[in-house]
Amino acid sequence: MNVQTPVRLSAAEEAFVGQLESAGASAAAERFRIIGLPTRRVESYHYTDLKTLLSAVPPLARAAKGASAPVIDIPGAYRIVIANGEVQNSGTAPNGVIVSKVAGATLTTRDDVLMRLNSALVSESVSVELTGHVDAVVHIDRRMEGDAAHVQSGAKIAFAAGTKATVIETVSGSDAAHMGNAGSYVSVGEGAEVTHILVDLSARQATHFASVEYRLAANAKFKSVVVNAGANLARAQIFAEFTGEGTHGDFYGLNLVDGEQHKDITLDVTHGVPHTTSSELYKQIARGRGKAVFQGKINVARDAQKTDAKMMMQGLLLSDEAEILAKPELEIFADDVVCGHGATCGDLDDTWLFYLMSRGIPRAEAETMLIRGFLAEIVDAVEAEHVAQALGDIVEVWLGKAV
Amino acid sequence: MSTPLLEIRNLHVRVEDNEILKGVNLTLNRGEVHAVMGRNGSGKSTLSYVLAGREDYEVVEGEVLFDGENLLEMEPDERAAAGVFLAFQYPIEIPGVATMTFLKAAMNAQRKARGESELTTPDFMKAVRDASGLLDIKQDMLKRPLNVGFSGGEKKRAEILQMALLQPKLAILDETDSGLDIDALKVVSEGVNRLRSADRAMLVITHYQRLLNHIVPDVVHVFSNGRVVETGGKELALELEAKGYADFDEPNAA
Repeated sequence: MNVQTPVRLSAAEEAFVGQLESAGASAAAERFRIIGLPTRRVESYHYTDLKTLLSAVPPLARAAKGASAPVIDIPGAYRIVIANGEVQNSGTAPNGVIVSKVAGATLTTRDDVLMRLNSALVSESVSVELTGHVDAVVHIDRRMEGDAAHVQSGAKIAFAAGTKATVIETVSGSDAAHMGNAGSYVSVGEGAEVTHILVDLSARQATHFASVEYRLAANAKFKSVVVNAGANLARAQIFAEFTGEGTHGDFYGLNLVDGEQHKDITLDVTHGVPHTTSSELYKQIARGRGKAVFQGKINVARDAQKTDAKMMMQGLLLSDEAEILAKPELEIFADDVVCGHGATCGDLDDTWLFYLMSRGIPRAEAETMLIRGFLAEIVDAVEAEHVAQALGDIVEVWLGKAV
Repeated sequence: MSTPLLEIRNLHVRVEDNEILKGVNLTLNRGEVHAVMGRNGSGKSTLSYVLAGREDYEVVEGEVLFDGENLLEMEPDERAAAGVFLAFQYPIEIPGVATMTFLKAAMNAQRKARGESELTTPDFMKAVRDASGLLDIKQDMLKRPLNVGFSGGEKKRAEILQMALLQPKLAILDETDSGLDIDALKVVSEGVNRLRSADRAMLVITHYQRLLNHIVPDVVHVFSNGRVVETGGKELALELEAKGYADFDEPNAA
């Protein structure tokens, strides 16, 4: 058989192959050996060259011995802990919520290395089914505990038709150089009104990958919020597909980058049927020598007439050495649609700063007010009060951190 | 005699390669209201920005003393804490910053700079309620982001509200009448007049005389080509209105 093999596998690639083999995923191991990690030549990883960025892979996670305190504690929330990939018993679920464990991973098959790793390495996932008006916020609390570990985890979240609910997923854990790879498959039933939030709060030395697939049925109102505020290297991949007419989706995201961090949000929205609308607003803020990457693609299928989609990326550069990258793409096969994209990037507006300072507000405080104002649009998008408060706190912690 | 509140001596200011102010001299004492009148482009607004401390203006010569201190060495926030307030011709819209948050931050920053304790929330709320009531400012307006979606008149009233809350020693009003209809002009002028006091001075920059019917100045300066070319009493404003600015231009500037 004539297969092209890389000249030499990197240490990280060897480690992934070894882990796949040890997990009994020999086909996946063989495929990985051939394809390897994506480099900048792979379009979807152009700005996040994993072959260069990943130098080591920690050993596969074992059962966690203990858990750290919850990194955010949302009052009244129902919390489900997944520690080092294992779904923990989580007490009595609120009305309208059914939690169970399912074998294996939850993501579909896509040509993506991180998703393939997740699918091959996750042995059990949590399944959360929501029905009706669920007052309590559901918090899926993924942990990477103990010594540095490669942690794979999976979740399947199903919002039944007509459900009103908010689910937040967070990743956090011990202060070690973990590598996380979290998969979430989220289905939104007809007429559901749903918010799904994904927050990376893992340790500063950690690497964290998250892949989320959304399947949106008809006449739903959907909101997605993703925040990267933890790992040194982070990538959140969001794949959303509109499968029923009359649905509107709001997609928000925030990359908070400093130090030597590299954070990537990659979005792929497919309007597959007629009469669906979406708005995409992603904000990136970078200081130090940090690099923030946003890739956003909107696909409109041939018969998806009357699609209305508007994508916006706004970047705020707080240092000369920070970088903000944005790659918006529209791929439209229908002819009666309204689609647009825009991107802005700059430092704080001098005129705004002067106005605040002219009222006696010192420079540092004025800058913080403006940064907070820049980020407010994302935080304010979340209606559940305690969740918005928690996101606000995350932003405040980031703002207050010494650079 | 006590130190003047503001002394501008031979002030020359450049923006990029253009000299905008070409030797301004002006002395303002506590309790006085001075009007600065001049046609568009004469340097009036530049003067107000330089006094408030905006960047991009290069002072090439001269000095400005505020209460005997070198004003030009201070950062904009230090000037504000010392008592300088500029009511902007075009107040800045800042999305994402709530008006009330901004007002509280400004009041507390100035109190802190003066070594006073922070305002309690009830005291702050009361101060805002009282001052906004007098200016016909609806509470709904205060719930919006700073100046965002305010009409021209609302923005100007919001500036005067800030001035009333911050109680500056020197208020510089830059074209406060522009964009105001008669009723709004009245509300704003009354707001300004309420703030006239023996220990506060005002510099009222305007293009038209009509504002000075409402805010009657003690002294009028005519500004032309980057300097004060004539100084007189309030009747000078009427003379200007009748004759136009051309009569006051210096021969070489015509």
